[in-house]
Amino acid sequence: MTHTEADAAASGVPGSSAEASAAGNPITRKHRGPVAARYAVIGVWILMIVLFAVLRPETFLTEGTFSSILGSQQALVFLSAALLCTILVGEFVDMSLASNFGLAAILVPVLTVNHGWNVWLAALLAVVVSTVVGVVNGLLVVRVGVNTIVVTLGMGTFLLGIALWSSNLMPVSGLPAGFSAIALTPVLGLPVNFFLGLVLMLGFAYVLEFTPLGRNMRFVGANREVSRLAGLRVPLIRQTAFAAGGLIAGVGGVLAAAATGGFDPSVSHSYLLPMFAATFLGTAILQPGRFNPLGTLVAVYFLATGVLGLQLLGGSSWVSSVFYGGVLVVAVTISTVLNNRSR
Amino acid sequence: MTDPTTEARSMTAAPPAQRLSITGLSKTFGRSRVLTDVALDVRPGEIHALVGQNGSGKSTLAKILNGLHTPDPGASVTIGGVPLALPVRPRDLRTHGMAVVHQNLGLVDDLSVLENMRVGRLTPSRFLRRVRWADERAEASAVFERIGRDVALDARVGTLHEEERATVAIARALQDAATGTGLIVFDESTRALTRRSLEHFFTLLDEIVSTGTSVLMITHRLEEVISGADRVTVLRDGRAVVSGAEVEGMTEPELAGLILGSNLVDLEHRPTSAGVEGTAPLRVDSLTGQSVTDVSFEVRPGEIVGLTGLAGSGYDEVPYLLAGATPAATGRMTTSGLTLGLPGLTPAAAIEHGIALVPEGRERSGLALELTVTENLGFPKTARARKRLRPLDRRAERTLVQDWSERLDVQPRRPRAPVGTLSGGNQQKVFVAKWLATDPDLLLLHEPTQAVDVGARHTIVAAIHEKARAGAFVIVAGSDENELALLCDRVLVFDDGRIRRELTSTPDLTPDAIVAAIYTDGSRARLRGLRKDGSRHEE
Repeated sequence: MTHTEADAAASGVPGSSAEASAAGNPITRKHRGPVAARYAVIGVWILMIVLFAVLRPETFLTEGTFSSILGSQQALVFLSAALLCTILVGEFVDMSLASNFGLAAILVPVLTVNHGWNVWLAALLAVVVSTVVGVVNGLLVVRVGVNTIVVTLGMGTFLLGIALWSSNLMPVSGLPAGFSAIALTPVLGLPVNFFLGLVLMLGFAYVLEFTPLGRNMRFVGANREVSRLAGLRVPLIRQTAFAAGGLIAGVGGVLAAAATGGFDPSVSHSYLLPMFAATFLGTAILQPGRFNPLGTLVAVYFLATGVLGLQLLGGSSWVSSVFYGGVLVVAVTISTVLNNRSR
Repeated sequence: MTDPTTEARSMTAAPPAQRLSITGLSKTFGRSRVLTDVALDVRPGEIHALVGQNGSGKSTLAKILNGLHTPDPGASVTIGGVPLALPVRPRDLRTHGMAVVHQNLGLVDDLSVLENMRVGRLTPSRFLRRVRWADERAEASAVFERIGRDVALDARVGTLHEEERATVAIARALQDAATGTGLIVFDESTRALTRRSLEHFFTLLDEIVSTGTSVLMITHRLEEVISGADRVTVLRDGRAVVSGAEVEGMTEPELAGLILGSNLVDLEHRPTSAGVEGTAPLRVDSLTGQSVTDVSFEVRPGEIVGLTGLAGSGYDEVPYLLAGATPAATGRMTTSGLTLGLPGLTPAAAIEHGIALVPEGRERSGLALELTVTENLGFPKTARARKRLRPLDRRAERTLVQDWSERLDVQPRRPRAPVGTLSGGNQQKVFVAKWLATDPDLLLLHEPTQAVDVGARHTIVAAIHEKARAGAFVIVAGSDENELALLCDRVLVFDDGRIRRELTSTPDLTPDAIVAAIYTDGSRARLRGLRKDGSRHEE
């Protein structure tokens, strides 16, 4: 049970003067969490940038660093957005998204380069396949009632295998040059896929914060029975969330293939942990205690900054594991503690 | 605010060697202080009641006693004169023969009586570390023998009668205490018990305390204090405004006054509404569901009809059937020209037709606790928005919340706080307001004031009365005769899936009459048959 003094003072008694003054005092903004909690990670991010800038001014403080941080993260942005779709409606861990993303990314070069398809047709098919995977996950979890983690873990492994088989275990590259335009066309000095990720997250944040659909998603995630009794079609919303997750992962995969002109099917699972790290770290940013797209977006770039900075300081490939894993644990711990305290 | 007689009462001289003695207990969460310098003592062989509104600090105190919360420094807790290390370690409690029984008795339905009894106490054998069930069984049956009750040890707890469940919970709490010692703390354990089980429960407690074991009873039911307890401690805003006053001679209104800190505005039954003239009544015809069969009844506009009966009699299924929350096999509802077939009715369609359901259990089916007050209050509306992607009307939402928070006096006024941070009573107000705000023509409620303090109960009852006055049809399913007597113009008593009796006029609508009608042969016995004469518990 959690009480504040105002709670205790106020429950019930109308008219007694001492309590009226305590209770009538509206505490409006304050309760969203103290400012410190909302912006703590952003503060750490800035400190981190300053620290790297001081330690490695000649390499870190360059335009290349910033465009590489901002331009390289679209895979993670799309994957975290896909993960948010299902997390928000209360399906905690969709483990298949990374492989689903990888399948879409490898299908484009495999169909185009190895089988001579039109690249746009291949891209369309890849997105459709990923969406269908989401729908199947949804059917099994929502309609049949199989445990989410089992279904998606199995599905993820299955898809990884299919991706490896389709490409014969080899990276496939050689997509037509014109196709890369959908990901790499420079806009304001950055590749367009940065802005695509930005638009995706902003749009997602808008839907969640300002529309009935977003509200309904949060309610389904918070309490299914309450949502059902309010007249929501809960199974449909959960099902759609899985499909949308698949769709977003598929689009992300196609963009990833376009950006590099091909894909290595064995790397997709390396996105699994970072996407969870970003999504959970996101709950400590802007709206503490809530999964939120803008916080997640900030978290993605926070993580990218940290990894790049540490690499510039001399760390090698192990840095990303240490940083992503460590940040996940620390971030979740801090946000849990802050949440308990503010109650 | 504290009245002088209260002070006098709290000065009652205490004999030495208390079973439980708490002094200087404070608890601060962040910046808010929930308990302030609370003192409480429980004598050997008494039932000591601890009461207070939701948010007064009762649950926090219970959680300190079972070690969930750490009290602020400076507190002292002694059991039988022996100081207890703070924060409380559950293992210490057991060695001192103290046990805490949680809400709804804290039993696991899927396990057997024996497993429920012995969980956490199972002793492994010496080498193979396996459980010797024969020994465990002997331990368990010894306890049942001590309290003179017999329960099948291998039965799954879920299959037991409610009375047996109560027995098991008490036996489990008692097993660590030697006869004549020990203390059982009941943390709102009786909230879901029916009348019959409640009487059984107190009979058993009476026997136990007469051997010298003590009971600390945290409760909302004033009746349990007045006719069940020996002494009472009242918490208000985290302070013990009354500590260990004798209950003898106290009345329910007096006690309610102590709890609220002001005199309870007359919570009498409202004058029976004449009904709104000129509007057709609502008819329910041949309603059949899982446990009700072919039930028909009428509700006049402005009338509040209560449904009650024994557990399993089907009365509590009716609201859910009428709201499309559980599917009906047959039945239809008719009002002024409109006929609604009940089979196939969905919650969404019911809401569209102006039907609102306030189900039992706000944590499970009432509110999304981690979402804000505003989000919860506005949910029936946002859930039904046609244009799912059109922006929400934030201003309208704010007005709605302000309006309803005022009408139901939701405290504190923090529309953006997660609703789970409010006290139980205020959560219930938000829950009821959420559905009242849809302006329903038919309001269905199930246990609308269960486990809610007197103040919140009053507010909610008044809001329901007001809704009826405005001409709505209101149906309340409930097992609490006091609530029904307070709310209803008419009560339908169910038995075996059918309406067996109808209580209409005022003399029939007293709590006693309602209980009598539920148990045909029944009467509303005092919770503890014998008023203690003071000498009986002297050791």
